[in-house]
Amino acid sequence: MTSIALPAPAARRRTLDLSRPVLLFFAAFLALLIGLPMGWLVYFSLTDASGAPTIANFYTVVTEPQFLTPFLTTLTLAVSVGFIACAVATPVGWLVARTDMPMRREVRALVMASFVTPPFLGAIAWEILAAPNSGILNHVWRAVTGAETDEHLFNIYSLTGLIFVIACYTFPYVFVLVTNALDRIPAELEDASSILGAKTWYTMRRITVPLVLPAMLAGSLVAFLQAMTLFGSPAILALPAGFHTMTTRIWSLFQFPPKPGLAAAAALPLLIITILLLRAQARILGRRGYAIVGGKYGQPRLVQLGRWKWVALAVCVVVLCLPVFLPYAALIKAAFTRLPSDPLTFDTLTLKHLKFVFFEFSQTRLALQNTVILGIASATIGTVLALVIAYVTARQAIAGHRILGFLATAPVAIPGIVLGVGLFLAYTRPPLVLYGTLWILLLAYLTIELPAAYQQLQSAFRAVHPELEEASRILGATRLRALRDVTAPLLRSGVIAAWCFIFIGVMRELSAAVMLFTANTRVISVVIYDLNESGDLGSISILGLTMLIVTFAVVLLVNRLPGTGGPRPAGS
Amino acid sequence: MAAVELVQLTKRYGTQAVVDAVDLTIAHGELVCLLGPSGCGKTTTLRLIAGFIEPSDGEIRVGDRLISSIDRTLPPEARNMSMIFQSYALWPHMTVADNVAYGLKLRKIEREVIATRVTQALRTVRLEALAGRYPGELSGGQQQRVALARALIVEPETLLLDEPLSNLDAHLREEMRFEVRRLHDQYRYTTVYVTHDQSEAMTTADRIVVMNLGRIEQAGTPEDLYDRPNSEFVARFIGGTNVLKGRALDAQHLEAGPLKLRCGDGGALSPGSAAAVSVRHHHIQLSAQPLAEATNVARAKVMRQVFLGASRDYLVTVGDGEPLRVVTPSNVNMPAGADVWLRLPPEHCRALSR
Repeated sequence: MTSIALPAPAARRRTLDLSRPVLLFFAAFLALLIGLPMGWLVYFSLTDASGAPTIANFYTVVTEPQFLTPFLTTLTLAVSVGFIACAVATPVGWLVARTDMPMRREVRALVMASFVTPPFLGAIAWEILAAPNSGILNHVWRAVTGAETDEHLFNIYSLTGLIFVIACYTFPYVFVLVTNALDRIPAELEDASSILGAKTWYTMRRITVPLVLPAMLAGSLVAFLQAMTLFGSPAILALPAGFHTMTTRIWSLFQFPPKPGLAAAAALPLLIITILLLRAQARILGRRGYAIVGGKYGQPRLVQLGRWKWVALAVCVVVLCLPVFLPYAALIKAAFTRLPSDPLTFDTLTLKHLKFVFFEFSQTRLALQNTVILGIASATIGTVLALVIAYVTARQAIAGHRILGFLATAPVAIPGIVLGVGLFLAYTRPPLVLYGTLWILLLAYLTIELPAAYQQLQSAFRAVHPELEEASRILGATRLRALRDVTAPLLRSGVIAAWCFIFIGVMRELSAAVMLFTANTRVISVVIYDLNESGDLGSISILGLTMLIVTFAVVLLVNRLPGTGGPRPAGS
Repeated sequence: MAAVELVQLTKRYGTQAVVDAVDLTIAHGELVCLLGPSGCGKTTTLRLIAGFIEPSDGEIRVGDRLISSIDRTLPPEARNMSMIFQSYALWPHMTVADNVAYGLKLRKIEREVIATRVTQALRTVRLEALAGRYPGELSGGQQQRVALARALIVEPETLLLDEPLSNLDAHLREEMRFEVRRLHDQYRYTTVYVTHDQSEAMTTADRIVVMNLGRIEQAGTPEDLYDRPNSEFVARFIGGTNVLKGRALDAQHLEAGPLKLRCGDGGALSPGSAAAVSVRHHHIQLSAQPLAEATNVARAKVMRQVFLGASRDYLVTVGDGEPLRVVTPSNVNMPAGADVWLRLPPEHCRALSR
């Protein structure tokens, strides 16, 4: 009747069957990516040096104090961090999400800034601030009180110090979950309680708190997991204090002479605990009774704090001092004075660290180059990978999409240090000898960052109503054309976000990299860690700040990249 | 010219047939409404016609072309159809004009021709002034009209509408019904319109197809369905009615509790078997005085009465039977608790076959 010619129908249908090989390819790739290192991990833990099966490794791990003590330390550390993070983040989250406290947005943004800070950099900053002798805070304290030079107020090289520093950089996890939950609780739910006669406090206790409780619990679990699996902060703060956590113990097993079997056996409990806790978290968050049900709801109503709002703001500022203001001030000061503890005068200002890092220190250039190459490569490959898998699972385009989704989220349960051990074991032998190349780091980063990117893109796909694609199909567009014209532009911001997410993740990753680097494949985080051993805090500060600046620059650049006049954020 | 023909069309998910052996022919230029409660299979039928899903059995033809069968299904883009979606599915990253022009661009039509036709299409739906806006900046009714323009501009062989008005508020919905009908009268596309709203179907359709549980209950013009329902489901779904159930005495009479009824409408009853009769609310007459007739009259008690302005809405009981609903002119005023006499005119008592 009108303008479009009808193609032979039979040929059309066959083309769809390409989906099967595509699925198999991606499934095989993901299975290999995750399965190979984990398989070697299990194999090594169960064999001795000659390859004969043994459980001696596990026996050693559960009986010897060199493993038991770090295990107990780690447990204490993780539980304390979980509690503290929850106790600090919940009130701050409530103030930000549900009250009329001034500068709520700024507080929220600054908490997120402490998220972006790599934990090991935070640990080093706190070294500058609160090391027993040279720490700036201790200097100030001695100057004020006139205490002796061998006395100190704070000692960051202690379990307490370690708990404090890790809590500083994990409380945002709880904060994000709690504020999201509070944002989503509709005011009507609280109003319904008030209208039935409940006072504010009663409503809080019986309605609001129970509704955010799952988020608090889930957030604490994440904080617990972070504290348990972090390598950087314990390596920086616990080793000088003379004690080990599980991650530093595993790492020490790779110092000469390496004991990969023992390391594998020690890594497996971390993996198992992580998997169990993540399942617990999913159950807590997924319980049906807690889902907010029902139709349209209004914006949450803000609690009027009255005069108390300034007190609230002061509390938030104090909280923010610990992960953000003080550490960054310390890093900047250390970067531009001869010694971090020097008083801040014109005499002590210097550019010698800057000069050293960029013109004298041979590793800087290579490490920067490696990091940026790896960051861009991982982000690009990871985004494409996540995009394909998210499309398949969100649109249920092929049978078996669930398996792909599972494989893409599985790495979330593998702590960086465990993955590092697994990759080391898997790729130091044929058929793929990747150890000593950037490829092994690329694989590590891809594996670690895939789950977050996948989840990001999956929710982006969910936000694009399938009818938008169908509308294009029925008007005459093929599946690919509809993807190009409709889906791709609508996903643009989600794709960019996922890319940046991976890039930032790569920049700050230390625990897997520290297991896998060689002389030619250092990345910035590893260089910073090495410099810390030699105590060169000024250069570290320069490098750390450089790293942050590079991260922000790349993220900004990517967000501006193609056609800024493009799509407007308009939902119909 | 092309009629759309569904032959034994079936869609099963697992063992459950969502669309169950549907036979239907939609004549060229006809507007057919698929009407039914949610879950009756009407939207699935529409999506089968569009080619978004493949049939488990049966086939769909347009003219002499087979477009869907178990062996091969033409993809949606090769069917020369248009569709208006429940969510409108306007692309939020394109302007109104870009949205409307999309189908023409796919057909590789010259730029100037596209521009003229877009202007024309937007004028038809009275949106010329908003061509440069984004969908997010329009009201619901305007978005609806953009969706209409986008679907119509490609001059489809077949136009599909999936509950297109259900996201509008009541006032706008009423206005848009007439708009849809006006545009259909203007262009005469073969149209399939899915809705669960009875009056929407009655305003727009040439023919209504009532669906229930994946099957067609009854098809016909709005008058057909209202005046001559064949089943209790159709009688209740179109217009609302009282259904009296009892036992047939002979071909015309039945006994339902204390009521003895002569049916002047519908098929013949088979004596001795169970039977059902439909009497519309407003066909029942109320009287304060006793009525003398032997059949189709009963004594009743008013349980509830509501004044609705133009009419009064009564709920009455006959003996201990099911309450009946009666709508009378508003001057017939009897208080709750009053004893009344009902008259159910034989010509309005329709015997139902199912």
